[in-house]
Amino acid sequence: MSKSETIKTAFKAAFPVMMGYIAIGLPCGIMESQIGMNWLMAFVMSMTFYSGAGQYMIPNMWLAGAAPLSIIASVSLVNTRQTLYSASLSQFCTGCSKRLAFLFSATVTDESFGVNLAQFQKGGWDAARATVVNICSMTTWALANVAGVVLGSLVSVPTALASFAMTAIFICLLCMQKVDAVNLVTMFTAAAGVIIYKLVGLSGAAILLGAVAGVAVGYLFSTALLKRKGEVA
Amino acid sequence: MSMSSFLIIYLCCLVTMLLCRCVPLLALKGRTLPDNLVRALNLIPPAAFAALVANDLFSPGMFDAGLWQGLMPLAAAVLTMVVGYLRKSLVLCIVVGVGSYALMMLLL
Repeated sequence: MSKSETIKTAFKAAFPVMMGYIAIGLPCGIMESQIGMNWLMAFVMSMTFYSGAGQYMIPNMWLAGAAPLSIIASVSLVNTRQTLYSASLSQFCTGCSKRLAFLFSATVTDESFGVNLAQFQKGGWDAARATVVNICSMTTWALANVAGVVLGSLVSVPTALASFAMTAIFICLLCMQKVDAVNLVTMFTAAAGVIIYKLVGLSGAAILLGAVAGVAVGYLFSTALLKRKGEVA
Repeated sequence: MSMSSFLIIYLCCLVTMLLCRCVPLLALKGRTLPDNLVRALNLIPPAAFAALVANDLFSPGMFDAGLWQGLMPLAAAVLTMVVGYLRKSLVLCIVVGVGSYALMMLLL
């Protein structure tokens, strides 16, 4: 496949994520401008740190008077779920160079992970195309943030509505998973885990802890199933 | 926020983010992983997306602004889930999800 075709197919896959990032990037930029970040700061942060949840949390916590150390700890904790995506995607980077592997892994988000994984599972997808998906999404995110900073308080976007674009993406990615007993057990455990962790006040780590609980219970369940079939000694 | 506070927060968050994003992939890439580990890794996507959806939809204060305010996103989510299950289209899910949520906000 030629270079332009690679970019074209990747752009098509990235398009829904890019739409969603415009919707949540604008209000994020507006919040960043409220704590005195200029467009260049927002751009650099979006093109390197590149985290929706993180870039919402920093202005929110700063405005609430949190200390830098507690902001760093909370944001880092929320982002630990990236380790799961990174481990999961390693299977698809076997043949690629270290440089590409670094660029690819450094630009993974919840949404682009889901989109790329679906493509990898369908087949005919590679790390180069996946990286183009990541970079298209990241650039859109950065430009939306910059637009938000520049427009500042001129526009008002209802945050709850804008962030539902992301929820809709997560729901669709969830619906793309195979529906079998093991996956259902995994999903329900993860969802219940998140709710319980949030109820007991562990909001920061809820996504990671819930997902890990889902993987653990799902794994035990699938081991039990395999044992019953006699496939595991 | 002063430039020095910004730089400290930004750079520290960037470092922890890059460690989480890059280290597992670079460490595991190119190795033949044991079957059991692959079985666990394959459970990450369903677990992660279920966790992200639950995190977006449920919070301890979700009914603080009234029962209906808390139920609206859930109703929109159910509708999105039906569309997602039937059509598996990201664009359609965004349109139906955000559209139905906006409609409920306007009408009710």
